[in-house]
Amino acid sequence: MLNSLQDLYHIIPLLIVSGGILVSIIVEMYSKDSEKILFALSILVFGAAGLFSLYSVNNVSILFNGMLATGGNVNVFSFIFNIGAFIVTLLSADYIRKYGTYYGEYYIILQSSVLGMMLMAGAKDLFIIFIGLELMSISFYVLAGLNRKRYNANEASLKYFLLGAFATGFIVYGIGLIYGTAQTTSIDILTVRFPQLTGNLLFLAGVLLFLVGFTFKIAAFPFHMWVPDVYQGSPTVVAGLFSTGGKAAAFSAILVTLAALFNGNVGSLFTPYLIFVSALSMIYGSIVAISQDDIKRMLAYSSISHAGYLAIGLAAGNSEGTAGIIFYLAAYSFMNLGAFGIVALIEGENETNLSIASYAGLAKRNPALAALLSIFMFSLSGIPPFAGFFGKYYVFFAAIKSGLTWLALIGILSSVISVYFYLRIVVLMYFKDQGEEVIPSKSAMGMVGVVLSAILVVLLGVFPGSIINLISSFL
Amino acid sequence: MLNLILIGFAASAIAPFIYKPLKNYFGWIAATFPLYIFLSFISRYNQIAGGDIIRETFNWIPSLGINFTFLLDGLSLTFVLIITLIGVVVFLYAGAYMKDYDHADRFFVYIGIFMTSMVGMVISDNMITLFVFWELTSITSYLLIGFNHHKEKSRKYALQALLVTGGGGLALMAGFILLSQISGSLEISSLYDLNETIRNAPTYTAIVILVLIGAFTKSAQFPFQFWLPNAMEAPTPVSAYLHSATMVKAGIYLIARMNHSLGGSALWQDTILIVGAITMLFAATLSFNQMDLKKLLAYSTLSVLGTLTMLLGIGSKLAIKAFFIYIIAHSLYKGTLFLVAGILDHETGTRDVSKLGGLRKHLPITTVIAALASFSMMGIIPLVGFIGKETVYSAILEVDYWGLFLLSISVIANALIVMITILVGFKPFWGKLLSTPKAPHEAPIKMWLGPLALAVLGLLMGIFPNVFIGRLLDQSAISIISEKLELPIKLWHGFNFVLLMSFVTLLLGVGVYYFRTKILHIAQNLKIKNIFKPSEWYEFLLNGMMSFAKLQTKVLQNGYLRNYIIFILVTAVSLASLALFKVENLFRITPDFSITFYESAIVIIIVLATFMVIISDSRLKSIVGIGVVGFTMGIIFIIHSAPDLALTTFAIETLTVILFVLVLYKLPKFLPFSKSYSRLRDIIIASSVGLFMTLVVLYITSIELQSELKKFYTDNSVPGGKGRNVVNVILVDFRAIDTLGEITVLAIAAIGVFALLKLKLEDRNK
Repeated sequence: MLNSLQDLYHIIPLLIVSGGILVSIIVEMYSKDSEKILFALSILVFGAAGLFSLYSVNNVSILFNGMLATGGNVNVFSFIFNIGAFIVTLLSADYIRKYGTYYGEYYIILQSSVLGMMLMAGAKDLFIIFIGLELMSISFYVLAGLNRKRYNANEASLKYFLLGAFATGFIVYGIGLIYGTAQTTSIDILTVRFPQLTGNLLFLAGVLLFLVGFTFKIAAFPFHMWVPDVYQGSPTVVAGLFSTGGKAAAFSAILVTLAALFNGNVGSLFTPYLIFVSALSMIYGSIVAISQDDIKRMLAYSSISHAGYLAIGLAAGNSEGTAGIIFYLAAYSFMNLGAFGIVALIEGENETNLSIASYAGLAKRNPALAALLSIFMFSLSGIPPFAGFFGKYYVFFAAIKSGLTWLALIGILSSVISVYFYLRIVVLMYFKDQGEEVIPSKSAMGMVGVVLSAILVVLLGVFPGSIINLISSFL
Repeated sequence: MLNLILIGFAASAIAPFIYKPLKNYFGWIAATFPLYIFLSFISRYNQIAGGDIIRETFNWIPSLGINFTFLLDGLSLTFVLIITLIGVVVFLYAGAYMKDYDHADRFFVYIGIFMTSMVGMVISDNMITLFVFWELTSITSYLLIGFNHHKEKSRKYALQALLVTGGGGLALMAGFILLSQISGSLEISSLYDLNETIRNAPTYTAIVILVLIGAFTKSAQFPFQFWLPNAMEAPTPVSAYLHSATMVKAGIYLIARMNHSLGGSALWQDTILIVGAITMLFAATLSFNQMDLKKLLAYSTLSVLGTLTMLLGIGSKLAIKAFFIYIIAHSLYKGTLFLVAGILDHETGTRDVSKLGGLRKHLPITTVIAALASFSMMGIIPLVGFIGKETVYSAILEVDYWGLFLLSISVIANALIVMITILVGFKPFWGKLLSTPKAPHEAPIKMWLGPLALAVLGLLMGIFPNVFIGRLLDQSAISIISEKLELPIKLWHGFNFVLLMSFVTLLLGVGVYYFRTKILHIAQNLKIKNIFKPSEWYEFLLNGMMSFAKLQTKVLQNGYLRNYIIFILVTAVSLASLALFKVENLFRITPDFSITFYESAIVIIIVLATFMVIISDSRLKSIVGIGVVGFTMGIIFIIHSAPDLALTTFAIETLTVILFVLVLYKLPKFLPFSKSYSRLRDIIIASSVGLFMTLVVLYITSIELQSELKKFYTDNSVPGGKGRNVVNVILVDFRAIDTLGEITVLAIAAIGVFALLKLKLEDRNK
């Protein structure tokens, strides 16, 4: 319930995005030139919501009878989602024109997926998490099939929907069991009562099902099968959003719901499961990525292995782990979006130039793009001083602090393997002459998006201290 | 010191902009940059030699304890001076050598960043900044090895070096984080007084292994030695600078630096000693069948690195003294010889020793330089290499039990080095003139001035050892073993056993040189299995991962949705079953309900219908079966007096069957039946999922769930809402406002749909 006008002030980012959706629907209905207007509107909405989230990061409060939290890390997440979507929008402008697949709903659905993510991060009740999750997921299923005239886009969309619905089933089942045993869906009450409830097998089964469902959503082993197919079939810019915003939102939901698990109060109940997911995702993702010839599939497997690194933070189960995950997500979102953005720029009409071989000799033809992609690849492989390194450092640090040294070592081992496939692209771009003529599309907006990601990656890498301090201060 | 590092990076960044206009003088200009850093550091020489330690801190991420903390003591100053001094020579030399290469401007960027990072690494006190600089040197080394990137080999070996050294670096980071858990600080200097605590910590073994993996990969110690000879694909100035004088010594620097806090245990000392000794001998023997100048030098470098590691393992005062003299001597003569090899390559067009000979008349200055450096490398009085070898031998002799054994293998290794020296330093210049691809002529001054200076420095250091090395020696030793050495350095120790060993080494080396073809012949008959080649392990691992990745794409990621679902189901069920079987009373579950006649009849119908779905050979029959299952489920709801649920079920079932039939209409005929193997698999998976779900349901129903809400609604349904159907009362009375909201949402959506339809119609009319 709304208690005062002050509450409205706290949810301004949410209001901006939901207002944006409503206005977009109306514009789409009545405007002849909706493509340009909606693009500008989305830029405005995401930019404003993202910046306002950062501006009001210290206004921590809980609203609507303990249903929604704002401020603190909720706003950090909101910043990641909105700025991520801001970059995706910039990349989309020319990309969808290139494909001739502009449909009015594109920007509207993009905004509603971001609204879903924001709800997940701010949720204080399992139902809000569910609503946010479904808002995001259903938007994603539609976005995956955006190129509706292509077979593999349809296949991607359908596979994503069927498997996603399967995972949602797990989550609902889990929520049901949790509610049945704990008599509440309020996350704060659950957190307080967590230690007593762990004696109840059904409650534990509920939490486990919840985790299993979200293992799917974060794209981790063993529920990763959809990832390569969906990324490959979806429009490249949208796949970028799946792998960043989608993953970040799912992690935020896990962190929010199982706060009790990650404050070190409840020992290590689910640690074996989280270790299993984390270790196998890292190793599996890294090894399989080596043999990929399609760059989007390579990035898909890389996304699986990054889910593993992030899950190290969950397995560590301490506040360092939580802070590490949030920082890692920020770093990962921007570096991965940048990489997907460049793939979108290189991609030709009819989904050509997606093989890794198309990147040969890029440094000669377009040194700026090659340099930017190198930054993203170095950062993804975790080489200092880019953002990716501190993300990894922080989760490894958390793991070693909780005595999971060997898990950190597996992470290190798979980082070594990952250097191989990330740098393969850098090698191709700089050290090899081109085989075929590949001309990147000229897109001023796309370049702005990619450069913005690169700036954020470098900034997070050179000045990680202030961000980490900010995140830790809210834990 | 931070400003020097920043200047270094900035200077590297501007190199490409000034390279083109100043191409002809670039060597001279570039050399001023290491010279500036050299002079800035040597100005603190007196202060450090006097026993001061300079510390500077600049905050970076104070909350994590990661800061730019720089520490200048004897050890780091020695390394900084070697790095920058050889830097001056190499930069000048590269100005001429790289002139004809494409992208020579990039070369200077890389090597500038390398030098700066190397300096940053040896003066870092903070473990994380040390690691960052450490990885930067790995990356620049990668870029420089792959500089001739049009060659397949260059690219391959560049990546190999990066994977080995970069990977080792990450292991090092893990070791550092573990260490910081003990001390609570990331500063290396904070560990100095904690040697006891660290050695007794449970993680000590892990720390030692991780740190040593980092050091051994970087310094190419056994079994990681294979990347270094392969790295010779790099342009020669790079080999001289990175892969002999500086970067490969980073691992040894690290061992020396950490010796203070980690050393003293048998684990630490023995591992280092044994690995060092193996590398020393193994690498020297591998040089046998090499004819390439640079490969020969690379194997001798490996052997020397092994010796240096071994000396740290011995850890006595004399060994530390030998370590310092030997490291300085080696940097001087090996850097020089690499540069000589570069001159030969540049001026004659070949690096094959068997094609080079009698060049002394054409390259007189180079001949002198090569001779000076070679005498030092062979350990001939009065060069600094002589003092180096003498002290190494006497330090080895001091070792208990193993002293003589170690001495004999190091004599063999050194004899092989003598052989290499003759091949590299003398054979090309003396004897009969052999024809070369290019007509030989003397190198330009930029290329011989630096090597000459280094060679002369080697001579001066040999004659006046105390002037050049002596003063810093004590301070450096304090950094490693926290004791002063108080051992003066002398050129001449009189006639003794060690001197005799030096002679034996020389004679043996000359002998090996003359009989090398025969020895090689014998060695080739002893076929050495590939298992003993660590480079094969590397290839094996790489290929193994490739084939695993391809296999999984075939087996798991084959695009069939059904396979994905099978995988998900199997994993979920096995995970959950693991948890379920931990429950003790699982098999004592007694569900509390009675079964009526109707219910059992319905169950029988469901089971029969299910079998019909499975075994029928037409799609239509299967769908009828599914429909039957659905409708009978609805009947169960009716029996339990939930007509609304039953109605919903009927509606949905009807819809599903209709949809199915519609889809069927479009599908081709039902021809290929699944094989009996996959049927069996499906049966097993389906029944285990079913069994699991049954168990869960039984367990849930056997537990009475407490709910205050349930009681409230059932109690108040009739008196409060005047209705017996509790669900309906909840919807229209207790939660009426919610229902109103839902209806409103539906209404708005309907208006939206109407608007869309209207727009579509208008479009069509147009």
